[in-house]
This record gives sequence, C-alpha cells and structure tokens, in this order.
Amino acid sequence: MRFFDSHVHMVSRTTDDYQRMAAAGVTAIIEPSFWQGQPRTEVGTFKDYFNSLIGFERFRASQFGIQHYCTIGLNPKEANNEKLAEAVLELMPLYICKEGVVGIGEIGFDDQTKAEEKYLIKQAELALEADLPIQIHTPHRDKKKGTIRTMDVLEDVGIDPSKVIIDHNNEETVKEVLDRGYWSAFTIYPHTKLGNERMVELMLEYGAEQIVVDSAADWGISDPLAVPKTAALMKDRGISLEKIEQVTYHNPLAAYGQSGQVSETDWADSEGIDPTALFEGNTLLRGGMDVETAMSQYLIE
Amino acid sequence: MRERILHLLSENASPDAVSWLQHTLAGQDVNFDKRPFYYAFSGVSRHFDKSGTIPKGSDETFGGWDEYRLARVALLLLLAKQDETTFVETFHALLNTADLREQVALFSALPWLPHPEKLLESAVDGLRSNIIDIFDSIALDNAFAAQHFSDEAWNQMVLKAIFITRPLYRITGIGNRKNQRLAEAISDLAHERWAAGRSITPEAWQSCEGFIDQRLAEDIGKMARSKDPDDRAAAALVVANEKTGTLEALRELLPTELDRIEARELTWKALGHSMEEKLTRKSLT
Repeated sequence: MRFFDSHVHMVSRTTDDYQRMAAAGVTAIIEPSFWQGQPRTEVGTFKDYFNSLIGFERFRASQFGIQHYCTIGLNPKEANNEKLAEAVLELMPLYICKEGVVGIGEIGFDDQTKAEEKYLIKQAELALEADLPIQIHTPHRDKKKGTIRTMDVLEDVGIDPSKVIIDHNNEETVKEVLDRGYWSAFTIYPHTKLGNERMVELMLEYGAEQIVVDSAADWGISDPLAVPKTAALMKDRGISLEKIEQVTYHNPLAAYGQSGQVSETDWADSEGIDPTALFEGNTLLRGGMDVETAMSQYLIE
Repeated sequence: MRERILHLLSENASPDAVSWLQHTLAGQDVNFDKRPFYYAFSGVSRHFDKSGTIPKGSDETFGGWDEYRLARVALLLLLAKQDETTFVETFHALLNTADLREQVALFSALPWLPHPEKLLESAVDGLRSNIIDIFDSIALDNAFAAQHFSDEAWNQMVLKAIFITRPLYRITGIGNRKNQRLAEAISDLAHERWAAGRSITPEAWQSCEGFIDQRLAEDIGKMARSKDPDDRAAAALVVANEKTGTLEALRELLPTELDRIEARELTWKALGHSMEEKLTRKSLT
C-alpha cells in the first residue's frame, strides 16, 4: 500500500526515518512550516528555514524515493512577536507560488491572542490572493473554542471551507468541522494528541469522507510511521481497504491537489527506492531495512 | 530579445502558458509591482511544462534550455528595465529565496542584465554551489564571467570546472583569460592527480598556453607521450600554438595530430566537443 502523509516535519527527522517511511509505503509527504521548538529572533532564520523546505529537504526526500511538498506560513506561536511577524509576512510572497508549495500553513491559533488573529487573517488573505489551500493548526489548549473561532475568522475573510484542511482534530471538534464543509485531519501522535485506536473509533462513527490521517512527526516523541501503522490497525479492526486508502492517500491528495502543485503523476513514473543508488559517488541509503520490526508494534497510545 | 524568447516559447510551450506570460509582461510593462512580479517569477512553474524544453539547434543561445528557464529570463529582462534600486533589490530578493531551477534562470540571465558590478559577488558566490546545474549556469555558455570576473575569481571557476570535469570549451572566453597564476595552478593540480594515479581533463592545458616554463614543458611532454589520444591531441594543440620554440622537440612525437591541426580538424573546441559527447554517452550507459 502507498501512503500520503500530509503533515510531517522532516527537518527534525533522520535518514533512518526516511528509510523506514519509504519501506512502509509512504510515497509523498507535506512538510508544513512550523516553529522549531524555540522562538526565532530574526527574519533571516525564517528565510533559511523556508529555503531548506524548498531545497535540501526536498532533495533529501527524493534520495529515498519520496516526493516532498511543503506549506509556507507563520505559525501562531511566533505571530505574537509582531515585529518579526511583519517581516515574515513581507517574505512570504516570495515563496508561496513556488513549485511544490501546496498551501499556506500551518497557521491558526495557539494562545488565541489578538496578534494571532491578526496574522491568521493576513495569511488567509494571502491564500485567497494566490488561490492556495490553507493548512490549519488548532490549539492544544481550549481546542474546541479555538477551532470554532478559526473557522469563523476564515469565513469572514471569504475563504471556501473546501480549500481548508483543519488539523489536530479530536472527538470534540470533528463534527462541527465536517458539518461546516472543511477537511478534517487527525494527527496520530503518541501521548499528547490522538492514539490510533481512537482514530479507528472515529472512522467507524464518521466514515472516510473529508477525513485525513497524518503523523505530524517532529522534534518531539512522535512517530513518522503513524500513517502506515494506523492503516494496519484499521485493517485489523475490519475497516475496508477502500476507506483506509481514502483517508491515508486519496483525501490528502485531493485536498492539497487544489493547489495545482501536487498530482499522482509526480510519482507515477517513479520506480520506487533503489537502496544501492549512488549520489555523486555517495550513498545515503544502506541495505537491510528493518520495516518488519518497525511495523510489528503498530499500536500508538 | 523578448520577442525572440516569446517566439521560441510559442513554438514549443502550451499556448495557455505563453499567453499567460505575454499578459503578465504587458501588465508589468505598464505598472511594475514587486509582489505580482514575485508571484509570476515563481509561478512560471504553475503554467509551463515541468519537463518542456526548447529543441537543441533551434536557437543558438536558447536551444536546449527548459521552458521554466526561458520564461523566467523573459521576466528578468523586464526587471532589467526598472530603476537601479528596484532592479538590484528585487534581483537579490529573488536569488536569496530561489529554488534550484530559479537560481539557474537568475544566473543564466546575467549577460543581459544591467549594473553587473552589483551582481558580481552573487555570481562568484554561486560558483561555490555543489549543485552542478547551478555551477554550469554561471560557468558554461555564459559571457558574464569572462567580462566581469577578476583573475582570481576566473581562476577559481576554471579550476573548479577542471576539478569536477565540466566541458571547458563551453566556458565563454576560455581562450582569452589565460594567466600565469592559472597555468601554475593547473600544473599543480595535474601533479596531484598523477600522484594519486588519476588524470585531468586534456582540455585544461589550453589555459596554460603562453605560459610554458620548464615545468609545464615537461607536463606537455608527458601528455605528448600519453597513450590516451585526447591527451596527445591536447599536447599537439599546445605545441602548435607555442611561439617561443620551447616545445619544438615534441613535434616529432605528434605528426598525425599536428597534421589534423593544420587541416583545422583538430581545435580546442573540437576536442572539447568530442570529449563531452564521450562523457554523455558514458553517463547514459
């Protein structure tokens, strides 16, 4: 099976992860712009970060036969540093129309401050101007209110819900997100977000329409195999292959495909991974992938 | 130039893409605005075919270029018409945030852009890239370096091109920018390679012409005795072009090659061209 993980922060991951993801069937990924664990103090570090998302990370992924896309945005945490936020907003028009940029993201609320709202609006307007999908980060604290407020703000700007993927949903937020016509993404992330048994229950209740499963693996204790592992668990629990493929592959492709920057033809000709391939005489890949070990315990709690 | 580019694109690219480009250029002609210009420059990838190219031989300069590169150069020619501050700032903003194919387009446009003194440092810096496409966009088929580089920068470029085995005959001005320091550095590099049991591209010896001291005369002698026909061809070219008589003794080792030079069959360009073809064939098999 092949998978499209539409939310994974590969700058924080090693080549071991890329190796295991490729072996487990992850064909394409989206790397959203986010914060890096500590606040940045200069706009130049944003520029270099964006450059790495469209440059070296894309190359690195390609070495493992994985197609790499990204979203460009100012995350809500750093929106609270207004001087920096203004400078980042000045920078964004240079990136958002580039090849392989599939949306504005991840943006939204964190503490739900006035400044966060201001830059959510400004970036939603940019998405409208460039006709791009939006990837929304919903807050960890006061999530339900924050999610509803996000949708209210976007609709005030005139954004079409079908062009918005709202991420980090849970049992409390999913209904209204779906009812209002948004894509509802679920992040399978150990301990702090959602385990995959809960995801199975959600699928049984809400089906597969407009639902997306991703890993959001980053610099924390997280799992870059969350999407294939969740698919395996779904299969075990009797969910049809068709529905599994829909939430782990077809839906993210359809949602972000609205950018015109990602389509199945991008990897249709790919012959997959060649562990013996050399790049300028060097190899990043080494044989003996331990995918079976990695996949043997697919429960994420 | 714009007309020539639009004509080439209209013969090869999708009509929608070309009409988008024409429309964008016309709009920006009347009222240049940075933000829509950024969108257009990167947005070329939204309109043109990712793998579309202009056929080789259909244009002396642009044959073999891909559509993205050519469309972006058309946009940069429009940027070139803006006032100096706008031009220089926008060029650097684009370069500092460019993806690989955008960088190639920016460097390819250098010969046709104004205020070269403001672009020089970026061109020199671009050559430090480890990405061959970026190095090639500055070093090969591009007149900027020969016109504007200091000897120091020129020598670095040529040495790196030798080091990574690029086709030297495609470096514009390779026959005119020879200098003593470069000739010595090439000899040093050759000796290092020989010590390691490896070789350097025979094309390198062209840059030593006119600076043949005793040590270089020995190097050329070694090439004249080489088993590799390309080494001998290069040695013969240096011998034929040497006016001081230092290399006269080598003539008897290279009768066939010197005849071919006399008949104008063998030139540095012809040698470089045949070597590049061999390299391409090798990489295809």
